[in-house]
Formats: sequence, C-alpha cells, structure tokens
Amino acid sequence: MLIELLTKRYPGMRAWLTQRLSALVMVIYIAFAVVRFLIIQPNYYEAWVDFFNPLWWRIATLLFWISLCVHAWLGIRDVLKDYVPNPSARDVLDILLVVSLWVYLFWAVWLLLG
Amino acid sequence: MQNNQQKNTQKARLRPGQMSRPKNLNLFTIRLPINALVSILHRATGCVLFLILPIILLLLHLSLSSLQDYETVITVLHSPFIKLMLLGLAWAFFHHFFAGIRHLAMDVHWMTTLMKARYTSKVVLVLGALATLVLALKMWL
Repeated sequence: MLIELLTKRYPGMRAWLTQRLSALVMVIYIAFAVVRFLIIQPNYYEAWVDFFNPLWWRIATLLFWISLCVHAWLGIRDVLKDYVPNPSARDVLDILLVVSLWVYLFWAVWLLLG
Repeated sequence: MQNNQQKNTQKARLRPGQMSRPKNLNLFTIRLPINALVSILHRATGCVLFLILPIILLLLHLSLSSLQDYETVITVLHSPFIKLMLLGLAWAFFHHFFAGIRHLAMDVHWMTTLMKARYTSKVVLVLGALATLVLALKMWL
C-alpha cells in the first residue's frame, strides 16, 4: 500500500508521503544523535573528530542529510508554489533550490565519505 | 471592461448570501487561531532552516578539518551576538521539530478534533520555548 503510493501513479501522494518518511528518518537520527552526543560529550577537537569517525555514524549522518535535502526540496517547493505566482520567476527559484540542495548533498558526501 | 465581465460571471456563480460578505484584507484585523499560528511558524521556521544549511555545513566542515579551524569555530560560536543568534535559530529548529511531530501525529489521526488540535498547538509552543530555555541555561550558565 505505502510502496504503491510512492510510485509515479500518485505524484501528489508520492510527494506527501516522501515528505513524511524523510521527516521520520530525521526524527530518529536526531533523537539518536542527541543521546549519543550527551553520552560521549565530545568537548575537544579529538573527541569531536572521533564522534564522526565510525563509518556507521557517517552513513547514518549521510542518510539524515539525504532525507533533509529531499524534505527541504518538497517543503520549499510548496512555499514557492504558494507565494511566487509568476511562473518564470518560480522556475528560476526552483532551479536555484534544486542546484543548491545538490551542492549541499555533494558537499556532505565529500565531507563524510571523502 | 473584461474585468467587470469576469466579476459579474463570478458574482453569478456565488451562492445567495455570499455576496454580502465583507472583504477583509487588513491582516492586522484578523486574529490568527493558535493552530494557524503553529502552522505558519512551522513553515517560516522551515524556510529559515533551509537558508542556514550552508552555514551548518561550513561549520561542520571547518570543525572537523583541523585543530586550528576547530578552535576558530568554537571562538566564533562563543561570541555573545552569535550565541544570541544561535539561540534564535535553535528555537526555529525546536519549533519545526515539535510542530512536525504534531503534523505526523495528525497524519495518523491522533489529536485531530478542533479542541485537541488547539491543545497540541499549545503543547508545541510550550515545548519549543522550554527546549530553547534549557539550551539558553546550558549556554550561559
């Protein structure tokens, strides 16, 4: 059922559900990150680097960041749809949005896995 | 002329009684219900969070790249004005976070009656303020 809603047959439901699933991924990561931060308390440089050193944590962080980019794309796209009635202006802003999010995503990949 | 025609056809489509409704475009005379306030703040804070994404990435990048850059980031983050801005942004995050969880709850049909929605709106506002307060105490004490 949920998987079917994520297919191209239901573009509106797909965006809606993607927004929520990405939110869920982020909530789980943030809860985990806060607990981990409070336990480890990385208060100096080496500890901070160690905090981001485990591969599983880098992958989790990357998953979080991918969810964030998708979530931000859908969210800001809706905001632009609501407040920018001029189609060509909105197209430009939409492109800016997508390009900036791809840049952030590649930056995060490079930072976490490079 | 064409505009007038359009207006007339629109008028013709209105149901009886609808025509006498006042048009009120002065936003200051409209009282925002608390659920609407939480909702629009969710949207506004979402936009703010999107805009600070590159700054977050830059800070993370610098803090992990070398001891010297790490010290720089820490120094910058400890300056009084930046701390105040951080607190504001933290509130934006907390509000977006809790309001988002409220939306998720409503999506699975929890707390969907008007009274419950008003109540959870207050809870979201209080939680956002409380989390910000806790962070402020941690930052300044």
